[in-house]
Amino acid sequence: MKKHIIRLLGLALFTLSVGGCNKDVLNVEPQAQILEENYFQKPEHAVWAVNAIYNQLRTWNVISFPFISMTDIVSDDALKGSTPADSERLSTFDNYTYGPSFPEEIQLAWRGYYHGIFRANSAIQGIPKVEMDPVLKSRLIGEAKFLRAHYYFYLVRWFGDIPLIDRLLVPSEYYNQPRAPKAEVYNLIIQDLKDAIEVLPEKSQYAAADLGRVTKGSARGILAKVYLTIGDYVNAEKYALEVINSNQYALLPQYNRIFLPEGQNSSESVFEIQATALEGSQAGASPWNMIQGVRGTPNLGWGFNQPSDDLIAAYESGDPRRDATILYVGEVLPDGSAIVQDNPEMVNERYNQKAWTPDHPGLQDNGPSNIRILRYADVLLIAAEALNENNKPMEALTYINLVRARARGTRPITVVPPLTITDQTQLRQAIWRERRVELAMEQHRWFELVRTGQAAAKLAPLGFVAGKHELFPIPQSEIDLTEGIIMQNPMY
Amino acid sequence: MFGKKILFAALLLWCGMAAAQVTVKGTVTDASGETLIGANILVKNSTTGTITEIDGTYELTLSDAFATLVFSYTGYTTQEISLKGNTTLDVVLREEAQLINEVVVVGYGTQRKSDLTGAVTSVKGEELKKIAASNPVQALQGKVAGVQVSAASGRPGEGPVVRIRGTGTLNGAAPIYVVDGLILNNIDFLNTADIESMEILKDASAAAIYGTRGANGVIIITTRKGTRGQKPRVSFNSYYGTQQPERRIALTNATEYAQLVNETSVNSGGQPTYPDPTVFGEGTDWQDVIFQNGAIQNYNLSVSGGSESMLFNISGDVFRQEGIVKSSYFNRYTLRINNEYNFFKWMKFGHNTAFVFSDNNREPGGIVFNALAADPTAPVRDSTGNYGNTSRNSNVGNPAAQLEYNSYNRGYGQQFAGNVFTDVYVLKNLTARSSFGFSLVNNRNKSYEPQFYVNERQQNPESRIFAGVFRGVDWQWENTLNYQKDWKNHRINLLGGYTVQAVTGEGIGGSRNRLIGDTENFFYLDSGDDQTATNYQFANTPERYVSTLLRINYALHDKYLLTASVRRDGSSRFGSERRFGTFPSVAVAWRVIEEPFMKNQNILTNLKLRGSWGRLGNDKIPSNEAIPVVVNGLSAVFGPDEVLNFGAGVTGLANPFLQWEEARSLNAGIELGAFENRLTLELDYYHRRSSKILVRVPIPDYVGSAISPFVNAADVVNSGIDVMLNWRGQIGKLGYRIGALASTVHNEVKSLGRGNAFLRGAIISGEPATSTVIGGPIGAFYGYQVAGIYQNAEDVAKYPNQGIVRPGDLRFADTNGDGIINPDDRVFLGSPIPDLIYGFNLGFDLAGFDFSADFNGMSGNMILNAKKMARGFGIPNYETSFLDRWTSEGSGDSEPRITNGGYPNFNVSDRFLEDGSFMRLRSVQLGYTFPKKLLSKAGFSSLRLYVSGNNVLLWTNYSGYSPEIGSENVLEVGIDRGIYPTSRTFLVGLSANF
Repeated sequence: MKKHIIRLLGLALFTLSVGGCNKDVLNVEPQAQILEENYFQKPEHAVWAVNAIYNQLRTWNVISFPFISMTDIVSDDALKGSTPADSERLSTFDNYTYGPSFPEEIQLAWRGYYHGIFRANSAIQGIPKVEMDPVLKSRLIGEAKFLRAHYYFYLVRWFGDIPLIDRLLVPSEYYNQPRAPKAEVYNLIIQDLKDAIEVLPEKSQYAAADLGRVTKGSARGILAKVYLTIGDYVNAEKYALEVINSNQYALLPQYNRIFLPEGQNSSESVFEIQATALEGSQAGASPWNMIQGVRGTPNLGWGFNQPSDDLIAAYESGDPRRDATILYVGEVLPDGSAIVQDNPEMVNERYNQKAWTPDHPGLQDNGPSNIRILRYADVLLIAAEALNENNKPMEALTYINLVRARARGTRPITVVPPLTITDQTQLRQAIWRERRVELAMEQHRWFELVRTGQAAAKLAPLGFVAGKHELFPIPQSEIDLTEGIIMQNPMY
Repeated sequence: MFGKKILFAALLLWCGMAAAQVTVKGTVTDASGETLIGANILVKNSTTGTITEIDGTYELTLSDAFATLVFSYTGYTTQEISLKGNTTLDVVLREEAQLINEVVVVGYGTQRKSDLTGAVTSVKGEELKKIAASNPVQALQGKVAGVQVSAASGRPGEGPVVRIRGTGTLNGAAPIYVVDGLILNNIDFLNTADIESMEILKDASAAAIYGTRGANGVIIITTRKGTRGQKPRVSFNSYYGTQQPERRIALTNATEYAQLVNETSVNSGGQPTYPDPTVFGEGTDWQDVIFQNGAIQNYNLSVSGGSESMLFNISGDVFRQEGIVKSSYFNRYTLRINNEYNFFKWMKFGHNTAFVFSDNNREPGGIVFNALAADPTAPVRDSTGNYGNTSRNSNVGNPAAQLEYNSYNRGYGQQFAGNVFTDVYVLKNLTARSSFGFSLVNNRNKSYEPQFYVNERQQNPESRIFAGVFRGVDWQWENTLNYQKDWKNHRINLLGGYTVQAVTGEGIGGSRNRLIGDTENFFYLDSGDDQTATNYQFANTPERYVSTLLRINYALHDKYLLTASVRRDGSSRFGSERRFGTFPSVAVAWRVIEEPFMKNQNILTNLKLRGSWGRLGNDKIPSNEAIPVVVNGLSAVFGPDEVLNFGAGVTGLANPFLQWEEARSLNAGIELGAFENRLTLELDYYHRRSSKILVRVPIPDYVGSAISPFVNAADVVNSGIDVMLNWRGQIGKLGYRIGALASTVHNEVKSLGRGNAFLRGAIISGEPATSTVIGGPIGAFYGYQVAGIYQNAEDVAKYPNQGIVRPGDLRFADTNGDGIINPDDRVFLGSPIPDLIYGFNLGFDLAGFDFSADFNGMSGNMILNAKKMARGFGIPNYETSFLDRWTSEGSGDSEPRITNGGYPNFNVSDRFLEDGSFMRLRSVQLGYTFPKKLLSKAGFSSLRLYVSGNNVLLWTNYSGYSPEIGSENVLEVGIDRGIYPTSRTFLVGLSANF
């Protein structure tokens, strides 16, 4: 009996040991998740990967404090806002005391936009492997390239020379990427946008369910702005006119409707970041409304990005765009739901009305508004500016006056009257001012000031140092981690 | 035994021959009143003697009425008592402090305590019973040198945070629990009364047999079993008590609050809010609203015994605890059956199984903090009967309304855990054991929130139900062979084994709004509107382990001891390129006391030196970091109807080379017993270098990875001394004992991997509050150093530029001397890890009474009072320390002027850092054991009644509820955000045997 047992036992243990030493037993897979090695095998993977790049557009780092601070607050259009103590660090954008490691918003912006680039690179690299409908495939790659260009366009304007990452890096490349000259970055942006123009459908050619995806017009419009930024007015004119002549777009008759829910994806929309407030979920939202919403009564948000006196003074008298842009204490909300009450904790209380949103499901952080990145009015003004630079003032006037006429609406002609200046310098100034008031509080102003060389003159009284503050500092951690391969911008 | 019989016969013979002598009678009992059968009684310096009868009585005839009698019994301390003419002499014998043959449980077996080569401390179940708690580990506080037990919260049913010999990782630092052989991460299901003993394995020699899971230490728990040859015995143990918060936090009353609010407003350039603060009087003390005296009770009934063919122990246990915060409770009902069956001579079969049912309720979320923050000028209810509005001023919900509306947060648990095993005596000296352990968990939770409106900010527009279920299966099969042989002067024990373990778990649940009813009958998802349904289902990544282990114990002359072990572990938790690790250990000990040169002294009764070295692993690293996955839910919104379009993508980088963390542990110890082991001392020095600690190594952001990959890169050293000193003595019938223990921890980070100058821990108000830097301890507090307060405008001008500050603001030290105060001036402010953890205890017994008092404490640790910092949204109530504010020049130099958050007064600075040192009277107990004679008539064999208190007294300078601020997150220890306080408990209890 015993012997049998011993043998059985010995056998059992032996079998077990052999069986157990099999390494495969230890290969387990995370459940309900796709492994990276199995991605880009099905057509839907390609769609999902591109959707993920759009998703990044709505994230905190891309669209909230960093974005608003480094566009409006840092400009002459706005102050930090909110109560003095709340996120006090953002006042460094009002007085140009930010540095390479403080406040964190500069690093967050850098990080957020590079994360978007990472997702785009992943899609651009992965989608070609997928067997799928070639038309959809090239469109998706086109969308990814557009979005990569979009992310880079912000980075290059904020930071100047930056590491140019156009694929997923391998570990040996993590720490040794130098800053590429600005021109190289623009080359990639231009090439990506041109590639996108080739393959992207026009707005009208998309299925309704795809409304909000980037279009041929989006790519042309952004490309026009890119050329305008680098001073290539010929190409700026070319691409702006291509948008205008595509007959895909028209100005919305009423300026103050653009930023209401009905103005989302309107005829005027060339590129806007899509967001929505879902019931019981924030999966479609952005923090953009909350950050700028009325703080106090009604309690709609945090009250950052406060329109400045300088902005108020920039409007021609009677320009209705001022009221459509700035929400004052005592003013009735656009939907008539409440009157803004005085909040004693705030100084010079006023708000960015373009970020106001009517009642919606969920709380403040379930921000539903689409964020208008490129409006048709912007394209018209790009065209006007480029045409003026290209010595075609009459054509330039046509476009700027379209914008002014819409602003005027049904009001008397003396309100925002048509322009007739043909002197290039004067017209240039007029166009710049028109851009300011038309696009105020839409997170463009900083780039305008720097692009047009007005920054030093306009901002010096606030602490701006010429030769330094045209660029933001490179986050210190990038310099530290690359042990100096990444170098700092001048004077930081 | 046979020898004793002969002696007895011989004595009888001898006695028969004697004449004209004195007869002495009496009873010999142990400290609990149990009679001792067969105890030896000998007339000193003679051969005259006897042994006690079956009822513990003896009768001895001798010639000298003034002789000294020597009472002895195996395992008990020998006593010499002079007769002084008495003819009756009842004697109480006490168990020896340290038994030479005491057996302790070690990994995969048992060992004689005298044979131990490693640092192992054993705590008996009886000792654990002193603390009334749901989790038996709470009773280890102050009991074992080198073990730090701290509550993360006082919520009923929640286990404490345990650290054995410091913190050796930046990840999971909790020890593993081995319950009857089954390796588990928590023992919430165990009740104290079912525990026979806990063994804490502290060094490599003891713990290396647990390989990749042993680096944080091991707590082995053995549950109670029957005793062979013992008639069925019924035991009933019970206590009932009441708990209350150990202390309250001093807050400003309504008048003071209103004054401070006024000052806040004036200081920020506004007008006073309240014309006359005194109209508010005392106002509402919200702490009164949320706290209650909570009952705690435990009833344990067990039957145990054993015959030749079977051992059994069946116990039923009811534990019920109300929380000290209203609406919270935890109840647990356990049935345990631990049996062994000797089917054949060569084989034994057994099982240790527990069926556990529990239910609990959590208090409304954040209610403790809210009670501290709520506006004291708001009434609980206003004159119209509506709840007072605390949201308006203090931006927190009315706690009383929370209790009404947010209190339904139920959890229900079922667990079936234990093991079945068989021992086969294969050959002489060779035993094979196969044990199958398992833990099946089924937890449900459900919470309901009615539709309600208190005010604009405290409301719920639609009733809502959440429900979820979690099911976990954990099994382990362990096969060991044990060979034991003694010959001549050699003893050897060989252990070889093979184990496999698998852990899986999955959960499912959902929520719905707009329920069709508001009573418990409707608290189901189906009562809600399916239009509002949300749901989830997930499964944890399965975990699998395969291990082989080998150990040799060798003793030469019972003097020279050697233990060597090796375990090879494979674990699915590691990267595909790093699956197997090998963990060796070796230890030696020298029982000096056995040497001939020790024979001619009579002070020392034990002297042992031991040393060990070994390598251990820690696998409590984040799951799945080695396997790159696609991240779901990166959806985009498209279309006129703004529909979410599913998105997914690769957002980060994984590391397939991830592996266990490694600890090299060194231990040197001395064990000493003197005066017949009445004095015992155990002293250990340890040094544990943990390396390959998993840490996220930052990569430049331009790489674009949303997460920095984990790399095995950091190093941490823990070193210190553990000492335990005990004295047991007797003065007449008074037995007493006094003991002390202490341990020191020096925790130092040696490396954090490339690019990590520091690791951020907790972020408070957007700033790192803890930071782990090379050369410092893990999770050290980090922030500005307060140099004083700006007394006037000249100060502001004179001192280094600190940005926008005003007189009355905190003035920070310019630590780097660059003339400007900025984030670079933040420095190490203190450590949450204590330098010294200690405990001492004393006890005595006399005439059936027993008394014990246990103290514990720690020193050198700091606490960040983060609840005091939480300002800025509304104006929360103030701790009274705010009343010492600066008001005008020269009015103070520590508390700044009143502002409501913001720079610089509410940045992380040593203003908010408090000394967390404390000492506590952890338990005090007075018991009475009834005399046998009284009891036998009533059918008892023993009966003890006691009263006791836990956490009775507390000495500390910390201003919070409790200086115990534990956290499983090693980077965020000691941060008090308003935790659920621990409680003070007073109990009455009884323990009876039939």
